[in-house]
Amino acid sequence: MLTHVLSIVADGVLLGLIYAITGLGLSLVLGVMGIVNVAHSAFVMLGSFLAFELFRRFGVDPVVAFVLALPVFFVLGIVVYRVVITRVQSAAQTQGLVAMFGLMVLIENLGTIAWTTDTRVVTASYTNASLVLGGVVLPHVRLIAGGLALLLIGGVWAFLRFTLTGRAIRAMGQNPEAARIVGVDIARLSAVMFGLGIACAGAAGVALAMVFPFSPNTQVVWLAWAFLVVILGGLGSVASTLAAGIAVGLIQSVCTAVMPFDTVYLVLYVLLAVILTVRREGLSRAVRRTI
Amino acid sequence: MFSVFLIPKATGSRTAALAAWGVWLALLAGLAAYGLFGTRLFVLSTLATVFMYVVLTQAWNLLGGYGGYLNFGLVTFFGIGAYTTGILFQYHELSPFLTAPLAGVAAAIAGLAIGIPTLRLRGAYFALVTMIVTFAVQILALDLTITQGALGIYLPALPLKPIAVERLFYFVFLGLAVLVTALVWAVEHSNIGWALVAIREDEDAAEIVGVRTVEVKWAVNAVTCFIAGVVGGLYAQRIAYIEPTGTFAFDISLNVVLMAVIGGAGFWQGPLIGAPIVLLVADMLRVTVTSEVNRVIFSMIVILIALFVPGGVMGVVSRWRRARQPKPEDAAASGLPAP
Repeated sequence: MLTHVLSIVADGVLLGLIYAITGLGLSLVLGVMGIVNVAHSAFVMLGSFLAFELFRRFGVDPVVAFVLALPVFFVLGIVVYRVVITRVQSAAQTQGLVAMFGLMVLIENLGTIAWTTDTRVVTASYTNASLVLGGVVLPHVRLIAGGLALLLIGGVWAFLRFTLTGRAIRAMGQNPEAARIVGVDIARLSAVMFGLGIACAGAAGVALAMVFPFSPNTQVVWLAWAFLVVILGGLGSVASTLAAGIAVGLIQSVCTAVMPFDTVYLVLYVLLAVILTVRREGLSRAVRRTI
Repeated sequence: MFSVFLIPKATGSRTAALAAWGVWLALLAGLAAYGLFGTRLFVLSTLATVFMYVVLTQAWNLLGGYGGYLNFGLVTFFGIGAYTTGILFQYHELSPFLTAPLAGVAAAIAGLAIGIPTLRLRGAYFALVTMIVTFAVQILALDLTITQGALGIYLPALPLKPIAVERLFYFVFLGLAVLVTALVWAVEHSNIGWALVAIREDEDAAEIVGVRTVEVKWAVNAVTCFIAGVVGGLYAQRIAYIEPTGTFAFDISLNVVLMAVIGGAGFWQGPLIGAPIVLLVADMLRVTVTSEVNRVIFSMIVILIALFVPGGVMGVVSRWRRARQPKPEDAAASGLPAP
């Protein structure tokens, strides 16, 4: 019994770490820049397929793909920022939303053309191996993916906490006008911020690909998970996003243990509605306060 | 910020306005005549689909176009409507033509369930939640016994010849399209319309001048969902078979957004222009390319419109009209001190 409970908890925490980085990019972009990136999960999907292609063509290990995804998606994020976001930033919010929605549909369908709607998996040499610790079975892939996620979260946290750029980004999140007056280059930092958000999405895609099967047309599911993490943890705060991710992971592993798999999704959506209802003031206040 | 109040809605001269109305009425008369005397099944059925999308897009336009709250999952409410009439037929043998209003009510209740938590919040939460909720409803339809899961529900074919069935739905959807367009026109010229535009332009300011923003959003969203539900209920009878993946297809949500954005969201003429463009172009493309390529093309068009031509076709038209005819009221209006 105890080992059963322990394995549910371990499973939940490891999954939660991956969910945390899935939500992190959405949370940072929303918290600092106020952009709801509805295309977030499309970039997550691209990350999964980056891992898939690197593995299939060159036999590159997903761990390497995870590290590679960060610069690749950072650049991609900056391109998207320069091409799309800068043009809609000063316009009405609906225009930006429509543009991002179009981008999501574009990426999803380009993905479908390139990789069809088949469900794919990434199978590394250690996929079926697991570590047994006092009766608790810990699959290697989950340990590695969770560890990488934790490293990334630590890295982003340290970046925002200790570097000058990170401090400037936090200042920008708290009050863009004041930050601009004291000499923060808002335009450049927004690009960096958006790039960072997309880099997190891509890396999350690689981590998810190690654990779950994936296909281009089911990516919206990850938007639901990422959004749940964001509203549970509040906006723009790395530490609370981590906590929220682990909470979502635990909720999922407990639900999976006691009810049929599909029902887990419904629990998630009910949770989403409940949190949105309860936290409605918390959300808007969180925008101003955090990181 | 308040510029929206200073732009006169009606631009152009009286004769030009009359001419525009004349064109719309002539078009309507022509379509009605084709419905009565046209004999090509394919044309009738394509046009019936166009009218169906006009109704859906007009409904979307109310909250999305005027109010600026985008619903990226209109198919959720459409599908709930379809399943309502489907289930009522399955267990009570009631014709969807009778139960379509109930389908609307069911969809409106679902709309309130999603709208009440999300529309209290400013910004894009409503858009995000509508986008991801389709998936949950699809799972419900798959898992519940009352919906018969992946088996779906069969409805009886109407005891008519195929051409008569198409003619029937042609007029049903044409009638609905006229009705809903009239509703949107009335809303545009009413206080609700102004309230919605005020919410879109600046919600804080709208609240300060006394718009009950949250209640307006809830009510308009319920109306949007009601209309989508009614259309879904009738659609169930039209295709005579509903199942979770096809009825809750993301394509329907996507089409509605495409049509509104291309035609011009926030104009009553927008859906009338957007729906035929998107459907006819999609039909033409279907022969040469796959549906994925089709969607790639349209999503690129949507991105380009969002970036460079806000307001779509109608946005261009209204800007062109305004530029062509500088009216004395314009000068007077812009001379007013900003509130």
